Amino acid sequence: MKAVLVTLSSFALTAGVIFNAFYQKNQFYPSVVYLTKSNPSMAVLYAQAFVFVVLFGKLLKKIFFGQLRAAEVEHLIEKSWYAVTETCLAFTVFRDDFSPKFVAMFTLLLFLKGFHWLSEDRIDYMERSPAISILFHIRAIAFIVLLSSLDLFLINHAYQSILIKGASVQLVFGFEYAILLTVTATVLMKYVLHAIDLQSENPWENKAVYLLYGELVLGFIKVVLYVLFFSIMIKVLTFPLFAIRPLYLTMRSFKKSLNDVIKSRRAIRNMNTLYPNATAEELQATDNVCIICREDMAVGSCKKLPCRHIFHTSCLRSWFQRQQSCPICRLDVLQSETSQANRVPPPPQPAPAPQPAPAPAQMPNFWPIPPPQVPRQPNQSAQTTTTDSSSTTPTPTTSVNTSSAPRVPFTLPPMGVNPPPPPPPGSFMPFFTLGMPSFPPPPVAPIMPEQLAQMTEEQLRSLEGNERRAVEARIMCLRNIRTLLDAAMTHFHQYSSITANIDWSAYTNKDPQPETSTTKEENRETATSPSSQSKTTDEQLEGAVGYTAVSEEVTADSSRAEDTQENELRKRRLERFERTQQNSDKKFPQNEPVD
Amino acid sequence: MAGAAVKRLMAEYKQLTLNPPEGIVAGPQDEENYFEWEALIMGPEGTCFEGGVFPAKLTFPNDYPLSPPQMRFTCDLFHPNIYPDGRVCISILHAPGDDPLGYESSAERWSPVQSVEKILLSVVSMLAEPNDESAANVDAAKCWRDDRKLFEERAKKSVRKSLNL
Repeated sequence: MKAVLVTLSSFALTAGVIFNAFYQKNQFYPSVVYLTKSNPSMAVLYAQAFVFVVLFGKLLKKIFFGQLRAAEVEHLIEKSWYAVTETCLAFTVFRDDFSPKFVAMFTLLLFLKGFHWLSEDRIDYMERSPAISILFHIRAIAFIVLLSSLDLFLINHAYQSILIKGASVQLVFGFEYAILLTVTATVLMKYVLHAIDLQSENPWENKAVYLLYGELVLGFIKVVLYVLFFSIMIKVLTFPLFAIRPLYLTMRSFKKSLNDVIKSRRAIRNMNTLYPNATAEELQATDNVCIICREDMAVGSCKKLPCRHIFHTSCLRSWFQRQQSCPICRLDVLQSETSQANRVPPPPQPAPAPQPAPAPAQMPNFWPIPPPQVPRQPNQSAQTTTTDSSSTTPTPTTSVNTSSAPRVPFTLPPMGVNPPPPPPPGSFMPFFTLGMPSFPPPPVAPIMPEQLAQMTEEQLRSLEGNERRAVEARIMCLRNIRTLLDAAMTHFHQYSSITANIDWSAYTNKDPQPETSTTKEENRETATSPSSQSKTTDEQLEGAVGYTAVSEEVTADSSRAEDTQENELRKRRLERFERTQQNSDKKFPQNEPVD
Repeated sequence: MAGAAVKRLMAEYKQLTLNPPEGIVAGPQDEENYFEWEALIMGPEGTCFEGGVFPAKLTFPNDYPLSPPQMRFTCDLFHPNIYPDGRVCISILHAPGDDPLGYESSAERWSPVQSVEKILLSVVSMLAEPNDESAANVDAAKCWRDDRKLFEERAKKSVRKSLNL
């Protein structure tokens, strides 16, 4: 009402002034001269111009923004006061250039600033409103285009006039419009991000990240602009007092966005490294609602904190940008992480120190003890054990003396095979009891967890451990292995000393098959024991898992040294084999063994 | 992010309409803008505020629920924990970090677990049991501590005023 009254009276006054001038001078030119010479008329005309500006502003507002919201009006008025104050301060610097044109320029600047603020507020409203109409989009794009083109035009204008007339008040204008251009860029960036966000049903997780980085970059540009402006102003004119407040605000907001980016990065890193994803069971155990956004959680998008509370990854990430604590129980997440890392004993399995004592207790797991009464059983038990030890390293051995010395210890630690318990009568164990009664029991090998594949990555990592304790445990483990190896070496020295004393000829005659292997050797050796050794051993062994028949050539070599008779036999067999091989090669390219 | 704020506010609004807590009515001022709420709080029974209906305005930030809303009574309310301009001073409305009166532990502060309902319920209990240790309205706190009778009289006055009597 007041505004309408002011507008109407202004119009009336203007009309009166102009009518008065025409009435007195009767002609166009003299009346214009009269108007410009008369101060009261000029005041009325200036007031009228101001009213026009306001009216034009209202028109633009109606076109581009429609009805303003209360908050927008509040912001506009608040910012306008600061802008007016700063403009007055700027007037003091440029009092020499003071002219109606100068005032008009400043009015235009204020006018455009107002629209920039409105556009900022309006775009912020996008993320507050549940429904955005098409009209909103059209308006938003229109005012962004209009404002940015106006900014560019005015920057260019200021630049040209500085080039022609030298540094003047245009410097301030050019710089102000450059700042306004960054504001428009911010608005545009936000608009694009919000528009993309609106397209999808679910909140767009990465929007916040993009916003942060966008604000960081634009904030940096603003800071650079202000610093440039300050240095130029101080050099060319004087200290720009009127720009201190915006400079300070820009610096502060830049610092804040930098902080935000750092915090966000830290939060994301924590999210990805420290906390495990929640599993389906864990989600079902709770009520399945993320307490931050009050929406259902799905597997794969949720994280579990050390305090067992589960949230959406995205919700948690934005919360951690503010605070590093659990939203429910306020457990300090970062602190609990470090303390937990200190508390948890590194790896469960490399830890055990060499403790030879509990060996018998663990025995039954690895050492099948067969019931001794069945006569065939000894052989079978011999089989199983030999298969165990030879399965992992199927390297053929050439001589008996060096035979399978390194094998057993290598297979020992991972398999958890421990020194044999008091051997069941009839197995190949009597061999130990016979040959070396004073057998040093090797230390217990550390037990490996069975299924590494089933463990989560984190468990594995904690298993490995990086602390001093873990490293010590690892070294201990390696030492244990060395002790085991040494023990095995002594074993096999003893083996070989025994085998050297055995009269082999007694057995070779009986042996119908020329192939030899370590397992066979062992079996043969067990034949020296009181329990009877049957010839079927080899047939059985061939069926056994992991049994590797040694190549003909190698065994031929090794047995030559021992027995000529056997050698002779083997030679003949070899020749025959070769012959049949050639024949079959001719017949079948597939090289099928015919024997 | 902000879409999340609107969604959460909608969810809370729905929850509050479906089963409203006793003595509390709250909802957005207009359905276009979920960030400005109006609430009506009934004075708790058995206290000097009994019978009053106090209107308040809740303003939510863009990053709600990560930051707390602001609450302001739009009527005169003589209470130790309500600033003379109507702003409510309770710990769950304070974001962890800023501590206006320097005594709150972070456990009582805002966290996303809180909700409009919890805020309003705490305000109701605050009306019933003023905390004169952290006075937002020093006059009211002094009056509450020293001259309970006068306090009750003034409280009754605000009740009558709230009912336009």
